[in-house]
Amino acid sequence: MDEKIRQYFSTIFADAPKTRMALDLKQEMTQSAIDKYNDMVADGYSEKDAYQNVINSIGDVTELFPEVEEKNLFALSEKDRKKKAMMTACAVGMYIFAGAVFLFFGMLSEYLGDEDIMMAIGFVMAIVICIPPTVMLVYAANMYPGYIKKNDQDMVDQIKEVRYHDNKEKAALKTIHSLIWTITFLLYFTISIVTFAWNVTWIIFLIAACVQKIVQLVFELRAEEKHL
Amino acid sequence: MSITSDILRGHTEAIILSNLIEQDSYGYQINKDIMKKTNNAYELKEATLYSAFRRLEQAGCITTYWGDETVGARRRYYAITDDGRKAYQGYKQEWHEAKEIIDKLLK
Repeated sequence: MDEKIRQYFSTIFADAPKTRMALDLKQEMTQSAIDKYNDMVADGYSEKDAYQNVINSIGDVTELFPEVEEKNLFALSEKDRKKKAMMTACAVGMYIFAGAVFLFFGMLSEYLGDEDIMMAIGFVMAIVICIPPTVMLVYAANMYPGYIKKNDQDMVDQIKEVRYHDNKEKAALKTIHSLIWTITFLLYFTISIVTFAWNVTWIIFLIAACVQKIVQLVFELRAEEKHL
Repeated sequence: MSITSDILRGHTEAIILSNLIEQDSYGYQINKDIMKKTNNAYELKEATLYSAFRRLEQAGCITTYWGDETVGARRRYYAITDDGRKAYQGYKQEWHEAKEIIDKLLK
């Protein structure tokens, strides 16, 4: 029956912070419950009644870890989460639209002559269209509050964990970035040499920049989810 | 009964301090003493008891140390500090005042 009580405490402490304090507390409370159980059985209560009584007298353990609740308060509300997802989706859409506008002017220039001017107009318009989604993405990435209030012991563990993940994520991100740019250069030269369309093919670099941003965004979102 | 337990819960810290003034003790022992003093009418929930310990410890009213039991599990003992004694006197004073007022009002 001791084992059953221990197991019960393991379950209710599953969401507790992984700290020395919480571990001590769990042991202390488990021992106290076992002492009580043994006393009751010695007093003549049935094992089942004693166990039930011990479990009932534990009470609400969430009051032991107010910081666990606080952590949730600092997470984004459902409304903000939806807003963030919406902004990200809009931003990606606008990047694609910018690319389409640029391509459109590029094709238009083929029919109308005045190639350089049309290309320049298309380029400037594409850049201008890219400004709002970039602002939106930066804002969305900074929507989360900067800190989570916890006690010192937790903070150290947390920073360690964040650093560990950050390093791993940064390394992966760097690899993907270098891959993107290598493939871009290869595509640029291959397509240009084959088609001789040097005036159009450099758009590949714009597309690569977009892809890079999107990859970065995906990483940021994932990292934030993990830290919460 | 629910009013009684609400009032009692509001004084958990004072009840613990009062117990520790008599002698150093551990969680289960304190709860047993409370039951004995109240003729088994009142018992603290473990979560209430231990969260009160944490608050008292953070406020510097109590200190803790591990017992040196040679058999069985080691117990964590609590001892009252000078700050704790002062806080207890304050609690007691406040309680007597509140009790007087309520006695006058609920005749």
